[in-house]
Amino acid sequence: MNALFSLAASAVQHLTGAKLGSFWSKAALILSESADATSGATVAADATSGATAAAVAVSPFLNAIEYTIVVPLLYFSVLFCIVGIIWRLYKILGAPPAPYSLKIYPSSKSPGLGALKDTFAMPQLRRHKPLFWVFLVIFHISLIMLLLGHLDILPSISIVPESSRHMVGAGLVGVGVTVPLLYFLFRRFRTPVRELSVPADYLLLILILFLFLFGDLMSWGNSWTPNGFVMTKQDFSLYFQGLAQFTFADPRAVLPGSHYHFLVIHVLLADLFFIVLPFSKILHAFLSYPINLLRRK
Amino acid sequence: MESITAVKVLDYKGLSCPMPIVKISMEIGKVAVGDVLEVHTTDPGSIADFPAWAKTTGHEIVEIKQEPGLIRIFVRRKK
Amino acid sequence: MDAATQDMLKNLFETKLNSAMRLYLETCTHCGACVEACHVYNSMPEMRYSSVGRSEIIRKVFLKYFKLQGKIAPWLGETIELDDVTMDRFYDAAYSCTGCRRCMMYCPFGIDTQMIMGIAKLLLIGADKEPKLLTMLADMSIAKGEDAEASKAGFEEAIANIEPEVEALWKTAPGKKTIPLNVEGADILYVALSPKHSIIPAAAILNAADASWTLSSFEAVNFGAFMGDSKRMMAIAQRIIAEAERLKVKTVAIVECGTAYRVMKQQTGKHPFEVVAFVELIAKFLREGKIHTTKNIAEKLTYHDPCQVARNGGVYEDPRYVISQIASDFKEMTPNREMNWCCGGGGGLVAMGELEFRMKSSRVKADQVKASGAGRICTICENCQTQLTDLSEHYELGVQVDSLANLVAHALIQE
Repeated sequence: MNALFSLAASAVQHLTGAKLGSFWSKAALILSESADATSGATVAADATSGATAAAVAVSPFLNAIEYTIVVPLLYFSVLFCIVGIIWRLYKILGAPPAPYSLKIYPSSKSPGLGALKDTFAMPQLRRHKPLFWVFLVIFHISLIMLLLGHLDILPSISIVPESSRHMVGAGLVGVGVTVPLLYFLFRRFRTPVRELSVPADYLLLILILFLFLFGDLMSWGNSWTPNGFVMTKQDFSLYFQGLAQFTFADPRAVLPGSHYHFLVIHVLLADLFFIVLPFSKILHAFLSYPINLLRRK
Repeated sequence: MESITAVKVLDYKGLSCPMPIVKISMEIGKVAVGDVLEVHTTDPGSIADFPAWAKTTGHEIVEIKQEPGLIRIFVRRKK
Repeated sequence: MDAATQDMLKNLFETKLNSAMRLYLETCTHCGACVEACHVYNSMPEMRYSSVGRSEIIRKVFLKYFKLQGKIAPWLGETIELDDVTMDRFYDAAYSCTGCRRCMMYCPFGIDTQMIMGIAKLLLIGADKEPKLLTMLADMSIAKGEDAEASKAGFEEAIANIEPEVEALWKTAPGKKTIPLNVEGADILYVALSPKHSIIPAAAILNAADASWTLSSFEAVNFGAFMGDSKRMMAIAQRIIAEAERLKVKTVAIVECGTAYRVMKQQTGKHPFEVVAFVELIAKFLREGKIHTTKNIAEKLTYHDPCQVARNGGVYEDPRYVISQIASDFKEMTPNREMNWCCGGGGGLVAMGELEFRMKSSRVKADQVKASGAGRICTICENCQTQLTDLSEHYELGVQVDSLANLVAHALIQE
């Protein structure tokens, strides 16, 4: 708990305190650069200078918001997510057990192994909904790869060589999560699943879809276009290193170019995702094994 | 005891579980309070089922007569 | 519905929230895999007759009263308030579900809809809206336990009166009682139902095997379980448990009644005796050569796995082995065993009458029986037997429905 407070405190201090100076000076630097660029132009149309003036006015705020999203809010949401999951699991699994066995037959020789098989191989779905099952398997395997892909960006973890422009899967992981997700979303618009779906189901899938699409933008850009996505995997790794070391540095310094905003939106959606996760159906990731055990034990 | 006259005889022989009790609870509502129904059954369980049913529903078992192959139960509607 | 009633119902709901129930309520992702599992949905395709359709009513009430999300943003999960309309929907959901648990074979999480329907059934009792017929039957069973002594002599007489019918099937060894009652120290306590057809064939088989047995004074069926009322369920089961303990039997053999078997075997805790379905005893007698049968059924015969004995009780192979000893042309239904279609009469529906609904909702069962091409069907559950007989009549299947024990009793031979 102390660590939690000190983390929060340093985040607040950063936003309000001493380090803020460097933040503002950096913002001023960015502004002056753009001003120089404008004055250097031979013909500055009224419209352009008007837009520039607006940009000059908005930019510091935008920078502050973007910094909040990619650093302090990310820490907060991950922490919130972990605490939320533990709380939910405590509420559910800590309740008194069922008064009698809920298993169905034929029974497994080993209930634990049977439940593991149910959890990871989903034999019921393979039998009754084979297409859905194929998409689910691709999706969940890709999710694990996705997690590894993000860890790989850290300089200390190397699955794909640091020097490579590719992330894990070279863009295919993105396809592996995005295409099944579209299937999951579209099947919700069809009877009978449509009749079972509530707003939360659609909103969750839409949130994740956009989260993936912004990730895809970066990953596919880097792996599949000759020019890359401007920001390279090596650039991202500097951001991740800062996060891992709790430097609270503004990643804007290491992530140049106007494509930065795409990354910010990706991280914003990730923040939302982490905050929503413990209270959403994604919790099935943690409940699947214990619930399947009821059918086997 | 000779004076019991049933307004209706109900044949519940060979029914499956728990039909005799289900049926008598339907039939009892169709006769007047004080009237007696005569149930014919072959279920040994009815010997205890009918008095227990009468106790929980507030009716009366006037008499149970047994002979080989037939059980006759006289039920009076009390309310 | 007034606030006090709502509060009372909410408290009742809370008593059901054990860990398994919370898992069942909080894990469902609305994937829809279970929709086609239910025989009712397959016969009458409306979402309210699907597994998830039933459970969602409970989930949406749960979300409203027990979850932060339901309080902050009820629209996200479309929460439902506890009111009279909801109670009607509870009734519709709970008493259109036979508790067969076939949907557990489809759900990737194995969610138990029968267990969730237990909430609806309990709240219906709380709101005084449960099927009164079931309450009456359950209360009758309990009253019978309280007044067992009063009808003891009459019951003995009735049992003595059916003994000739047992003798017609199998001559009891000299010096032995045809239908023993209240025998302390007997190996087996056979728990039948009220009708004599649940006693006579079993008595013949037990006597043919020269078993040490005694007949229970109580019926096995448990109407408390149909009502989802754990207090009444325990009170009814306790009569038999106490009797078995008093007589110090080793085995309690349950008549062909699915609910009775599951309640005694799984839902009433640990016992100092073994609980078996009667068919398990028959199979044991046959394997050990204690009884012998002739294959006197030549007509094509099929077998219906009762949900509570098979999928929910684990008895699959014994009935098939027994059939192989009495019939020469056995044909499996498709699907069978754990995937078998429910007969459509479970969960108290047969006791409640509900003939029109039972027939409409079990069209798939009728089709399945028809497709087997069998002229005879046997099963090991009285409830299924009644429903299958009704189905055969309603859909003009021309199938003769039998109890397996009865078929065995008529195939007994002296070796």
